[in-house]
Amino acid sequence: MTDPGPSPPPEQAAETGTLAARIALKQRAGGIVVPIFTVIFALVMSGIVVAATQHSVHTALLVYKEIFDGAGLNWIFHPTTSLLDINAYNLSQTLLQTSTLILTGLSVAFAFRCGMFNIGGQGQYFVGLIVANWLGVNFAGMNPFAHILLCIVAGTLAAAAYAGIAGVLKATVGAHEVISTIMLNWIAFWLASWLFGDGGPLQNSTQPTVPVSNQVSPGARLPDFWGVQGFQGVHIGLFIALAAVVVFWVLLNRTTVGYEVRAVGFNPDAAAYGGISVKKNFIRAMAISGAFAGLAGAIDMLGGTTNYQFGQLDVPFSQVGFIGIAVALLGRNTAVGTLFGALLFGGLLYGSFHGLGSSSVIDPQLAGNLTYIIQGLIVLFIGADVLILYVWNSRKKLRRPPAKPAKPAEATAA
Amino acid sequence: MADDLVLEMRDIRKEFPGVVANDEVSFDVRRGEVHALLGENGAGKSTLMNILYGLYKPDGGEIRLGGKPVSFSSAREAIEAGIGMVHQHFMLIPVMTVAENIVLGTEPRKGVLLDEAVADRRVADMAKTFRFEVDPEARVEDISVGQQQRVEIMKALYRNADLLILDEPTAVLTPQEASDLFEILRTLQREGLSIIFISHKLNEVLEIADRITVLRRGKTIETVPAQGATEALLARAMVGRDVLLRVEKKQAEPGDVLLEVRDLHVRDDRGIEKVRGMSFDVRAGEIVGIAGVDGNGQSELIDALTGLQKIESGTAMIAGRALTHASARAALDAGMGHIPEDRQRRGLVLEFSIAENIALHDYAKPPDAKWGWLFPNRMVQRARTLIREFDVRGGGPLTRAGGLSGGNQQKLVAAREIARDPKVLIAAQPTRGLDVGAIEYLHRRLVAERDEGRAILLVSLELEEIMSLSDRILVIYEGEVVGEHTGEVTEEQIGLEMLGGREAEAA
Amino acid sequence: MSTWAARLENPLSASLRDARATGALGIFLGALAAFLAIPPIEARTVTWPILVGIVAAALGVWTVTRGRRRLGWGAVAAGVLGIGLGILATRSSTENLGTAFDATLVAQTFSFATPLVFGALGGMFSERSGVVNIGLEGMMLMGAFWGVYGADKGGSWAVGLLVAAGVGGLVALVYAFFAIHLRSDQIVGGTGVNFLAVGITGYFFVQLYHNNPIPNGVSLLPNIKIISGNNFFAQAIGDLNILTWASFALVIVAYVVLFKTPIGLRIRACGEHPRAADTVGINVYAVRYGCVVLSGVLAALGGIYLSEGPQGNGSFLFNMTNGRGFIALAAMIFGNWRPAGAFGAAILFGFSSALALKLQVYSGSAATLFQILPYVLTLIAVAGVIGRTVAPAADGKPYVRQ
Repeated sequence: MTDPGPSPPPEQAAETGTLAARIALKQRAGGIVVPIFTVIFALVMSGIVVAATQHSVHTALLVYKEIFDGAGLNWIFHPTTSLLDINAYNLSQTLLQTSTLILTGLSVAFAFRCGMFNIGGQGQYFVGLIVANWLGVNFAGMNPFAHILLCIVAGTLAAAAYAGIAGVLKATVGAHEVISTIMLNWIAFWLASWLFGDGGPLQNSTQPTVPVSNQVSPGARLPDFWGVQGFQGVHIGLFIALAAVVVFWVLLNRTTVGYEVRAVGFNPDAAAYGGISVKKNFIRAMAISGAFAGLAGAIDMLGGTTNYQFGQLDVPFSQVGFIGIAVALLGRNTAVGTLFGALLFGGLLYGSFHGLGSSSVIDPQLAGNLTYIIQGLIVLFIGADVLILYVWNSRKKLRRPPAKPAKPAEATAA
Repeated sequence: MADDLVLEMRDIRKEFPGVVANDEVSFDVRRGEVHALLGENGAGKSTLMNILYGLYKPDGGEIRLGGKPVSFSSAREAIEAGIGMVHQHFMLIPVMTVAENIVLGTEPRKGVLLDEAVADRRVADMAKTFRFEVDPEARVEDISVGQQQRVEIMKALYRNADLLILDEPTAVLTPQEASDLFEILRTLQREGLSIIFISHKLNEVLEIADRITVLRRGKTIETVPAQGATEALLARAMVGRDVLLRVEKKQAEPGDVLLEVRDLHVRDDRGIEKVRGMSFDVRAGEIVGIAGVDGNGQSELIDALTGLQKIESGTAMIAGRALTHASARAALDAGMGHIPEDRQRRGLVLEFSIAENIALHDYAKPPDAKWGWLFPNRMVQRARTLIREFDVRGGGPLTRAGGLSGGNQQKLVAAREIARDPKVLIAAQPTRGLDVGAIEYLHRRLVAERDEGRAILLVSLELEEIMSLSDRILVIYEGEVVGEHTGEVTEEQIGLEMLGGREAEAA
Repeated sequence: MSTWAARLENPLSASLRDARATGALGIFLGALAAFLAIPPIEARTVTWPILVGIVAAALGVWTVTRGRRRLGWGAVAAGVLGIGLGILATRSSTENLGTAFDATLVAQTFSFATPLVFGALGGMFSERSGVVNIGLEGMMLMGAFWGVYGADKGGSWAVGLLVAAGVGGLVALVYAFFAIHLRSDQIVGGTGVNFLAVGITGYFFVQLYHNNPIPNGVSLLPNIKIISGNNFFAQAIGDLNILTWASFALVIVAYVVLFKTPIGLRIRACGEHPRAADTVGINVYAVRYGCVVLSGVLAALGGIYLSEGPQGNGSFLFNMTNGRGFIALAAMIFGNWRPAGAFGAAILFGFSSALALKLQVYSGSAATLFQILPYVLTLIAVAGVIGRTVAPAADGKPYVRQ
């Protein structure tokens, strides 16, 4: 990040610079420290819960080993591409989970970069999922490529428009996006329950008593690139998600749209002074944010993560949109950070579901709840970077002489 | 000086990192007097009062209240000791009633309930005693600013204050409201209250005060009785005779009119008309300085000219292009450059790199971008050139702007604005908070840009800066241009006009 | 800004008062339009509902033109809804009508509204003091689980109430520490609390009860009967749960505390202008801690109603709040951060849930869709279409002492 410019080298400048500069330096250090600390902290605390309730520290350690194995991460010790290998299969499932979380994480992260909190990823995910299901079930005779493209694009755009409502409300009447996206979440929740439910418009045509949708027609399904017959394979949605990471990065850092988003996110006053329309950016950033979540819904539907269909009873158990919040926060709202955050949560979700679910270390039913606890702790502590930086900095203080006072001019600016 | 001192402040010293805000300031208040604290912006008046009110801790000196040494560590303790402060920005809750605001924290009770009747009655009684004319049951947001100020005073009185600090109380008032306030202050004085009146308006200080202490650059200059003091005398004491920062410059050679303002009216965000019919021209190759006390319409004028605030009526033309319905973008494209007053809040995105900050206006145009695609290398290239040309120190193109010192941040802003080759350049407080080296650099640069043929509008609260840089000086007061000077003019003369002292001039 | 607006409006206030009455009449007529077609009146012709509904809408339009936008649009909506429901009702069989619209609809409305009232009033205290509480959902969920646990182990619903209140307060205390002292983002913190609550309740539900419904015979929150017999009133409001009665009392208490006591004045001051409160000696942190903890206690009491109340029947289900914390939040916003408003909104939302349940005799599908109503209404409210909702000025902003 540094450039060997003229005059004093940047490092030195940061050392001797203003108070603001030093705080920024610490925060950039915190950029890596806070997420790592937070994860360790959350794992230790939930470990304590397990150790206390199971009366054994050993059990707590075993739990984490099972999650690790269950996520297929021990695959690296015996790599194989054969999905008949249990580790390889587990890893493939972790990757599936990760693809979705990358997208819902990017959704939250993008809005954050424009200074907004899109808490409505779950609702936007439902919208993408609903539209993809509707179009994927119909138009069965279409060219597969065109059909897939139609479903994905339509799902993405619908979710963008849906999220855009919150952006428009913020830009025009100043309604706080947190409140409007919460409301939009629950509207989508009940909309999905109604559409897929008993007598709902998208309910399946063969079993009128089962509140589940039709399956997406075979032509509209995303092909697997790593899978075996009869099992859920890894579909190309993973590549779509990885591409989205690249798009996210490029959009933010290599386009004028991204420049505006970042300027508005960091300092709306300066952005307006620079000639950027702040309102337009609120709407646009919210729509783009929604697009990522909608894309997640669409590829989950077309990729078979939910068996190419969705049911009324699946609605309350779908949490990927909310987990996206944790993913983005943990990834510090950057493209690469979100990728790692998604990988962590993907492993955690599948690993605890599968690893603990199929072993007898603890009651298998505890597994999913443990994930929620870890997730809650991560979100709670990631927001409190003051606390973690305090711990981090007091460690530094022990080693360093006290810093010099700040430059004169800055302090009197007020 | 032995007679009944309510307050003595001796040799108060307060340093902020690198700046001495109060340098051995001494000050006292007698029982029942109105003592004015006079000084320019940044002279140290507010610091001194914040120390007295327990908001800042002094680095040295002694405070005696009623003869006893005191040291407050919070406003609460100051209040308990009988000090009341009316802040410039009122500490009132708009959605609550007058009575609620006044009794907050020391409410009359009836069992567990708030005794509204008693609260209203007490407030009404107080209002009657001091002739405040405020309805206890009115909501604060529904009453005028002048009445809100009275509520602030009543808050202090309700807490039995016997020393009242008023921080620039007339800054927010109309002349009529100000004279009502003075009436109230005299009533309070008769009741035995002592009042510290902070101001930089000479006429009102002379009107209300018994004694006047002048501060300049953190030092006490003198304490004089108001009887016998004149505006001219006070102005000299306030502005001082320090060596000016002289800027070498040739005689200006004004060319075409590049900025033309006619009968401009602008309202601020709260809907109050702050620019009230200004008209002036700025020609190519001249620096026009706008002198005035803070809050007399400078910010609104600048915002209107740069498309950040709506023009209510009148016109502003940049090189023949009208800005009446302009956006910031339109003003920029018409050839407006703007070094804003607050570089950290508005001038820079502190989290952005130097290169990105340089691109702030033209990020969407070649060479920085084409068809929506950014070329960071070209941004960096451009930044590197400008860093060298404007001598921005402390980092390269990819260094965060927030990591630069104030002077270098300001050079960065200037570099961006000047590099766009603007026809008109507005420099608002371009040297605020900078060290001498940076000030000198920016001054020379502004003169050089003038010689390049730009029209430069310099807005500053520092009279010295205006005096040394401008080819022409406009003095504004309450949103109007009240004086224009081209040739020789004394600081006293401008000082008087800035302070609304036109009448005194005639006398 | 508001000063000027208010000044301009002052001369209009007399006519506004008239508009208020007209708007209220409009809403009443709108309700009447629907009421005409259902038992006990049960007009079998659409004429009367349409006529009355149109009058209601007209009154609403007049009210809007007089500046009372929220009330006016409310009356218009009531009129239109009244006509719609009236027409539907005249088309439906008298038998179905009898099932859907009876006295139990009223009782059900109060039953559905009870947890919302507790949650909304809890949220109101927190936000009035300046702390946004997105974590209401989680705090409710904690109350739902630990309340049953307390009632089961303690052998009495009263113990359950105490345990629920205690746990709710504790969770809120943790949240308050993050929001107030660590100044972490309040939305992030609240989201964390919600996740954590799902995890903790789910974990201990498995750990302690192995995911089985909690055994029969748990002491339930009792009903209190004030009217007996078989008449309409006895069925509608004669026999309500103890917490429902408590929720009525709570609204009055909350109103008195917030608007009639010194502590309420201080709470509101902290939410509007904490610095002003600080300069007159109010301990802003203490007030905010108190309010957030209170909000946790109240939310948990709302939560225990779900598991220990007449609908829950003493059993806990995974994530059983299912968004009710957010409806409570919505009710608070819809009610404009006021006790009576929040109560009214909670009743309205409770009514829509009760009606949705009843509508299942017509169509289960439509009943599901009906659940959207609270959220749509709240979205419309924050959009300012029906007048502005105004949050406390310092809501969500951490306060730093000087």
